[in-house]
Amino acid sequence: MSEESKGKAAPAGKKLSISALVPLLAVFIVGLLIGFALAGVFGAQQAAQAVAPQEKRTISIGFTLPLSGELSSIGKVWEKVVYLAIEDLNAEVQAYGFNVEFKPVILDDATSAEGALRNVQTFAQQGIKVIIGPAASSQVKAVKSFVDSNEIVLISPSSTAPTLAIPGDFVFRTVGSDAGQAKVLAVLAFQEGARKVVVFHRNDEYGNAFADFFEKYFKELGGAAVKMPYQTGLSDYAAEVASLASRVQAEKVDAVVLISFDTDGGNILSHAAKSPVLSAVRWFISEGPHGAAELKAPAVGEFAAKVKLLGTRPLFIGNPLYEDFKARLKSKYGVDATVFCDTLYDAVKLAGWAIIRAGSSDGRAIRAALVEIAKTYYGPSGWTIFDESGDKANQDYGVWAIVRTAAGYDFKDVGVYERGSIVFLEKPYP
Amino acid sequence: MLPGYPYSILNSLQYFLFYLLFSVPLTLSYRTSKVLNFSHSNFIAYGMYTAIFLHGLAGNQSFLVAAIAAFLAGGSIALLNHLAVFRPLEQRRASPAFVMIASMGLWIMYNYLLYMLADVAHAFTMKNFISYGRIDYADIPDLRILDFTVDHSLLASLASATAFGTALYLLLMKTSLGRAMRAVADNPALAEISGIPREKVLRFTWFLCGGAAAVGGVLWTSFSGTITPASADAMILQVFAVSFIGGLVSLSRTILGALAISLAENVGIAALNTFFGIPTSFRPFITFVTLLTVLIVSPPLGAAGGLPYRFRRKVGGGR
Amino acid sequence: MIDILGFLVSWLTLLGIYSILALSLNFESGVSGVTNFGKVLFYGVGAYVAAALSTYLLLAIYGIDTSETPPYDIKGIIALGHLSTRNPLVNLGLFALTLILAFLVAGALGYLLTYPILRVGPAFVGFTLLSSGELMRIFLQHYTPLGASKGLMAIPNPFAWVPVPRLREALFLAVVLSLLALVYLVLNRLVNSPFGRALKAVRDDEIAALCLGKHVPRIKATVLFIGSGFSGVAGALLAYYLTAVNPDMFVPAVTFNVWAMIILGGLGNLKGSLVGAAVFTLLDRLLTFVTPQIGLTVVSPDYIRWFAVGLLIVVLIIARPQGLLPEEPVKTPALEEALRAAGESSG
Repeated sequence: MSEESKGKAAPAGKKLSISALVPLLAVFIVGLLIGFALAGVFGAQQAAQAVAPQEKRTISIGFTLPLSGELSSIGKVWEKVVYLAIEDLNAEVQAYGFNVEFKPVILDDATSAEGALRNVQTFAQQGIKVIIGPAASSQVKAVKSFVDSNEIVLISPSSTAPTLAIPGDFVFRTVGSDAGQAKVLAVLAFQEGARKVVVFHRNDEYGNAFADFFEKYFKELGGAAVKMPYQTGLSDYAAEVASLASRVQAEKVDAVVLISFDTDGGNILSHAAKSPVLSAVRWFISEGPHGAAELKAPAVGEFAAKVKLLGTRPLFIGNPLYEDFKARLKSKYGVDATVFCDTLYDAVKLAGWAIIRAGSSDGRAIRAALVEIAKTYYGPSGWTIFDESGDKANQDYGVWAIVRTAAGYDFKDVGVYERGSIVFLEKPYP
Repeated sequence: MLPGYPYSILNSLQYFLFYLLFSVPLTLSYRTSKVLNFSHSNFIAYGMYTAIFLHGLAGNQSFLVAAIAAFLAGGSIALLNHLAVFRPLEQRRASPAFVMIASMGLWIMYNYLLYMLADVAHAFTMKNFISYGRIDYADIPDLRILDFTVDHSLLASLASATAFGTALYLLLMKTSLGRAMRAVADNPALAEISGIPREKVLRFTWFLCGGAAAVGGVLWTSFSGTITPASADAMILQVFAVSFIGGLVSLSRTILGALAISLAENVGIAALNTFFGIPTSFRPFITFVTLLTVLIVSPPLGAAGGLPYRFRRKVGGGR
Repeated sequence: MIDILGFLVSWLTLLGIYSILALSLNFESGVSGVTNFGKVLFYGVGAYVAAALSTYLLLAIYGIDTSETPPYDIKGIIALGHLSTRNPLVNLGLFALTLILAFLVAGALGYLLTYPILRVGPAFVGFTLLSSGELMRIFLQHYTPLGASKGLMAIPNPFAWVPVPRLREALFLAVVLSLLALVYLVLNRLVNSPFGRALKAVRDDEIAALCLGKHVPRIKATVLFIGSGFSGVAGALLAYYLTAVNPDMFVPAVTFNVWAMIILGGLGNLKGSLVGAAVFTLLDRLLTFVTPQIGLTVVSPDYIRWFAVGLLIVVLIIARPQGLLPEEPVKTPALEEALRAAGESSG
């Protein structure tokens, strides 16, 4: 192979010789280095220097979002939330008289651990001291040692893994543990009459932990749960739903508890809608699919009515800030608020105010300021106060359903969890 | 009572038809051009998204229109790849590994181009194209047998796969173009000497393969619950597995492979779950175990399979 | 202002790890013709061996019962966090031990997989190995003692006890680069020897090599042992660098990236693999500084970065189909002697 390619090394002028290619490559790389340098000049300019009061300071906040890969449907919505949040933050900060402008620096990590680390390192090398993201717990774990060593504050709006509840580090999460939500889901299922359920859950840390918590609480109430994990990242779940149907039939369960994200949840519900066995039991869902457009399709909406589908989600019911945020996101950027949009919004606000309150670019100062600010901040995701591990300390939960409206189907919050039971504010299904 | 009945059987049939439309073009394209095309998943993805954009931007409800548009789109992409990348590389006598990596570069480019197109479409209509729901085509009827509804995606798949299969069979066996394709596949040098215009045959084959895979993508949008730009990538390993069972050259073995893998993935996992308690999250595991078993027990004599003779006796005999 | 030193340290560490992978892949596929599409299998095995052994052993050494407090649960993780900064010798000792074991386990796995590879024939080696990689990943996602879908975290970095983070990173980089140098020297020596000539013979024409008396299966098994072993070492280094492992890190896309690096650099040329890995990783990183500054809001500017990477691969291959550095003849010591003698006699 090598002899051949060497012997025929130069068929009549159709190929650039290495003497032509190396300069080309060199020019390209030099061009990138120049761009790189310009990015440094126009990019992050952190606070440390004293500046004249009239000069506006630009402070960059890094965002590592899953704009491609498995969580891309959530990531794309988050991108719009980031723009909205930064706009609001700048308006608020200027209204208080600070001559500061925040700038978002957004990078795609393709929902991978190494991508997240590369993005975090890029942000760190530009002098950014607060990074928001990444989305998945496995990604947070991969960047944790870097942010801890370099004293960079990392706020994840969506990682819920119990194994990250570590005190004294630089990782904060504006989302609470799933244990609380699992309890509410268990109470909901039990209250609605289910005594034996199949828990159909993602086989990742989120799904496994949630399913374990659910099983524990449901057993405490007196019910029985059968766990059925499904592989994540597949393009279609028809086979899994078929297995679920036969399991439901074999075990004679009253309900299916689905613990999923938006894309797989929508897929599963669409397939379940076609199965008579699965349309005959109750369905209870976690917050993952809430807000996703696929669930507003007529087929799923009808299925929801048939099985009286109810879901739980973290929510401070009647929160006017959340309603306002949702409405503005829709009118300005045309997207519906899906999961964790509110926690992301609040993460941005907290980050901005923490940087200003710290008054310096010292990571420890910003971290301390963040904890202080969060104690008294109430935003679209409610109270943001952190517990000692840097995770959201308090969370209320609501119950949602898919109801028929004039324009088709839509999500509606129909109940709230209060002191050990679900209080319904309205009856979603006749 | 078979585990998962009746849906596991129906799903097996459905997936068999999908794998036919996805993997047979892959085998055909490799056989004729000897290029291991990583960007095959782009044909499928662009087929899906042609249907989705027609539905979301133009309100198209017709399967036929979507299928024709997707065929043209997928075929054009395949043809473009050939003209812009594979042919120049062949002329520079690049080794197959290089062409494969070039196709990988194309794969990345097309993937992110699709994300960008979805973004632009969102900017125009404010609809989310990154995650799109199932499309209900108006021109495919539902069929009722006894008190049983045959899903319209199954009907459309049956129709499309039968049409494709028959057309391909007739093409390859009965027409001179098909003979030319087979000649180019079996012995390119001899084919050229015999006066067969290899370049024209290659262009036609790529167009056909890209188009067929794209039509498969349109069918996917009527079956799957949610479609994302990564949907095609998530199943490309299975598609390749089916083609590899066929040794990448034998169309009949590819069809058998499609049957084997679709059964394993639907009935097999249901059986394992019901009788052995193996969690359903092992489904992809079953696919690869099936592939490896077939490859080891009956290695396809494709490109150059099988042990050298000297070692066959020692390693348990047989091919 | 941009932290150039930090950039170089972080880039070079990952470059070192990827270069070891690229060198071993080039050794297997470019020099010996064993088209390994399952590189990520051995990478992952090495990473998990290092992760599992170091976390379990660290807990055991300090007398913590791992059946009560396993390293994948929160209590174990917090304990590991405290213990990994206590004793430098323990950390370094575990590091050395796990590196060696990662090499041996991954190498043994490669050796064992030679049988199915020989059986399916050269054309399907790639996909067989790729499938094995996927099988391992799905297995790991279910196997609780190795963390299942949670993976393992708080892996004790060998230099975790160093108080200054910059120094820590620099020391780790030094270790990675020395291992890279070692791998390069070993592989270079192997390639430029009669054994290397035999490998190229097997690659170019297996039947002819057989006729000349080369024991092809044994050669392939040796090649896979060495190549997989070094991939395992790279995996172990990754585990220590990230301090966390998860099955989703070891997907086929990793193998494809390494293939792109060796093709760009030149198949069959070890120095080329280094160049290919460097170009690939540097470009990716540099672009992350540039793309967010593009003021586009209609499409995410970062998509352009990925698009550019794909475009670069295609353009480079079309412009230079044999890679940046061409393959060189086998330089055995005998050949060098002969050339020197020839040079002296003519000069």
